[in-house]
Amino acid sequence: MAHHHPIQPLEYGRRLWLRLTMGLTLLFLYAPIVVLVVFSFNDSRRNIVWRGFTTRYYEKAWNNDSLIEAFTNSLTIALISTAVSIVLGTMAAIMLWRFRFPGRSACEGVIALPIIIPEICMGVAMLAFFARTGWPTDLPWPLNLGAITIAHISFSFPFVTMVVRARLQRFNIELEEAARDLGASGWQTFRDILLPYMKPGLIAGALLAFTLSLDDFVITFFTAGPDQITFPVKVYSMVRFSVTPEVNAASTVLILITLLLTAIALWLQNRPRRGEIEAG
Amino acid sequence: MDKPRRNPRVFSLVAIPPSVWLLAFFLVPLTLVWAMSFGQKAGLIDIDYVWSLDNYARAMDPLYLRVFAKSFWFAALTTLICLGLGFVVAMSITFGPSRWRVPLLILVMLPFWTNLLVRTYALIAVFRTRGVVNGGLEQLWEWGNGLLAIIGLGHLELLGARFEPLQLLYNNGAVVAGLVYVHLPFMVLPLYASLDRMDRSCIEASLDLGAGHLRTILSVMIPMAMPGIVTGVIITFVPALGSFLTPDLLGGTDSQMIANVIERQFKSANDWPFGAALSFILMYVTFFAIALRAVWISRQRRLRGSL
Amino acid sequence: MKNKSGRGVSRRSFMAGLGAVAAGLKFAPGTVLAAEDKKLNFYNWDTYIGESTLGDFTAETGIDVTMDLYADNDELFAKLKEGNPGYDVIVPTNDFVERMITANMLEPLVGDLIPNIPNIDPTFRDAAFDPGRRFSLPYMWGTIGIGYRKSRVDGVPDSWKWLLDSDRYAGKVALMGDGTTMIQLTMKYLGYPLNDTDPAHIREAQDLLIRNKPNVKVFAEDNGQDLLLSGEVDICMEWNGDILQVMAEDDDIGYVVPREGGLLWQDCLCIPAGAPHPANAHQFINHLLDAKVGAEIADFIQYATPNAAARRLLPAEYNSNPAIFPPAETIRRSEVATYQGIEYTRAIDEAWTRVMAA
Repeated sequence: MAHHHPIQPLEYGRRLWLRLTMGLTLLFLYAPIVVLVVFSFNDSRRNIVWRGFTTRYYEKAWNNDSLIEAFTNSLTIALISTAVSIVLGTMAAIMLWRFRFPGRSACEGVIALPIIIPEICMGVAMLAFFARTGWPTDLPWPLNLGAITIAHISFSFPFVTMVVRARLQRFNIELEEAARDLGASGWQTFRDILLPYMKPGLIAGALLAFTLSLDDFVITFFTAGPDQITFPVKVYSMVRFSVTPEVNAASTVLILITLLLTAIALWLQNRPRRGEIEAG
Repeated sequence: MDKPRRNPRVFSLVAIPPSVWLLAFFLVPLTLVWAMSFGQKAGLIDIDYVWSLDNYARAMDPLYLRVFAKSFWFAALTTLICLGLGFVVAMSITFGPSRWRVPLLILVMLPFWTNLLVRTYALIAVFRTRGVVNGGLEQLWEWGNGLLAIIGLGHLELLGARFEPLQLLYNNGAVVAGLVYVHLPFMVLPLYASLDRMDRSCIEASLDLGAGHLRTILSVMIPMAMPGIVTGVIITFVPALGSFLTPDLLGGTDSQMIANVIERQFKSANDWPFGAALSFILMYVTFFAIALRAVWISRQRRLRGSL
Repeated sequence: MKNKSGRGVSRRSFMAGLGAVAAGLKFAPGTVLAAEDKKLNFYNWDTYIGESTLGDFTAETGIDVTMDLYADNDELFAKLKEGNPGYDVIVPTNDFVERMITANMLEPLVGDLIPNIPNIDPTFRDAAFDPGRRFSLPYMWGTIGIGYRKSRVDGVPDSWKWLLDSDRYAGKVALMGDGTTMIQLTMKYLGYPLNDTDPAHIREAQDLLIRNKPNVKVFAEDNGQDLLLSGEVDICMEWNGDILQVMAEDDDIGYVVPREGGLLWQDCLCIPAGAPHPANAHQFINHLLDAKVGAEIADFIQYATPNAAARRLLPAEYNSNPAIFPPAETIRRSEVATYQGIEYTRAIDEAWTRVMAA
């Protein structure tokens, strides 16, 4: 009987119109995903019309070395890119939020550039750059993914900056001053006051950076050398012969893996820890 | 929250890594392409750096300006719809039970960890002439007919002689729907980040003082979430403007967006200087709009500060 | 400062070569100039190879092959334009072979290293786009024509009119998304040569396409055959191989090359300039031209093979399939696309942008 009390003013989550819109949006978002998963069991090479149930495409995907390799590459690049983007993006966000210095607006502008540049333009730019600087293309794995990862970081971290900055703009500076007054050092203030406050921004930024990297096609296509295949590029070049159920199977597995990783991350995060005080 | 540069060590710590990165791995490549935009094709591969504005002049042709205008229109529509839906979703997540917050967030993000191409094909499978939606509607139509037949009105063909499937694909509406589908999380995330730690007492106060929910949302919540809204708008509008896969796959015969034209320059037309010029025009315009906003904000801040 | 890498030895392949030499010197101190690494980077269209071809090659020669994919010639060209990032064998279509030869992007082939050349059908031993076959050897060939659903179309629609100039199948027509091909085939319909560069004719083609746009449902990006299969359209312009693949899944689908003539294409094996493993590349090309290997590939991907020795090993139903091997009359009327220079490319692109924007 716990939820049968009247709706509190701020409990928008329980209002009908909100729930309805949310529900419809989720339906819109997930209908194609469900179709995707269902069609991964389709017994038809061209995967246009349903012709019967089979799991052989999962086997095919499992045995498809280049698909698995593309998978692995994409995940690796996405993880590294997200990690570095978070660090760089947060640094840039703090720099812009905290300090007033000559050339600040110009700096803001430059950081916004990777967001507004058309992807194909950036792809060509990175291609030209790596070609003319003689970037080596035959390093062992995972170093050979370096060029792609660098390009991904370049276009991801400004997104993180924007998201974290939006969060920081509402930060109550008095909290920090209070901590200082109480004797906390700069680092302690950062770790115990600012960082927890930024957390939703960091999570949002990380999710954004991960998504951007995992799904990037255009820029990756131009910066990838031989034997540096990623999942979106592989899928795109398969399009000429249609998106077979194999690709659906691989995508389904990818979704499951990311779900698993996130569940683990959440579980790690929510484990009770000693002596934690939330700021604000 | 501006503080003067009293803390040089911290400043160098946060300023140097991102700046160096941007310089080496973004500005330098960009300059290469920027120089290209003033050049001219000389043969199949080479580019003559003649430092002329010919490419920019060619881009001012009404043909390309019309494509720019259409792209802006599509992107604006997409952003508006994403803003509406995104705000509702962000509100649902923020003001819902707190243990559902991150799971719901993940739920919203999850479709976007699927490859865009595969997702778009799945979208096509749902909306095409013999897809899921039309299949369902056809089923309903048949049941409707069955019902009419039972009550004796079957011969009147009230529902039409034949089931007419909805043409949900290969038109401009499909492109906008596809763009919304792709860009929704880019709107939700900053909105969520902004709404999450909003000071609820203001909202409660507004409600206590007698304002209805709608009024509260419009006059209190939205202004307080403005930084998140603006961020969301920017990171939705701009990529939407530059997308070419979605109009390619879902569009009809007149859904060409500017990014498609640019893509063609870098590929089949093999005219990289012109493609570079078009890209830079796109960037200058967007940049200009963002700069305008920054100027407006700093003026607002100065006004508020002087009160 | 222009970078001339890609012609001759690119800096990248030089470094790679150095690496190979160093590796060779390290592991085989007795050898003088070490052989190449046992590796090959193959850049190809997707599924455009036999099921076990690569594995067989590795088993035979010990050379490890990695196959990367591209989806159209423009991508291939764009990737290689700034210098070869390390590919050894590529498979461009004939007009791109021409482009690449003009731009010095290909290595000349050493005939002595490819003893299987005599397997090739005599008609393919020379080509207008590569006189003397110095840079390319034929891999597969085919046509572009009309795919249609037999039950929804009157008879056999053997004219481009039904796609380009008629409202008979309004709303159920799919054309190609590639401007060059579209304009070229419209030229064929208008009675001009495929490669006509006359600006007045280009404008005529452009206007016709714009006039007829209301009847077209979509400019399909390589998936016209899927639209046909799913019933989204009833008639489309497509490559013969693509239609053949959906014909295998649906008997109601047919293919025809219109009587005005279609487009003849030929995909060729080439070695891009600056390839890090040219000797391995020659070996690989030779392997692909082997009769048995060629037959396996053709049987798997169902395209027309120019390899006469391979054809002799293939079943009758392959050799007599009119969708794969069109009648001589059709071939006579169809044309091959050629590279016409920069002005033509720009004119076509502008015309196509107008068509798309109208």
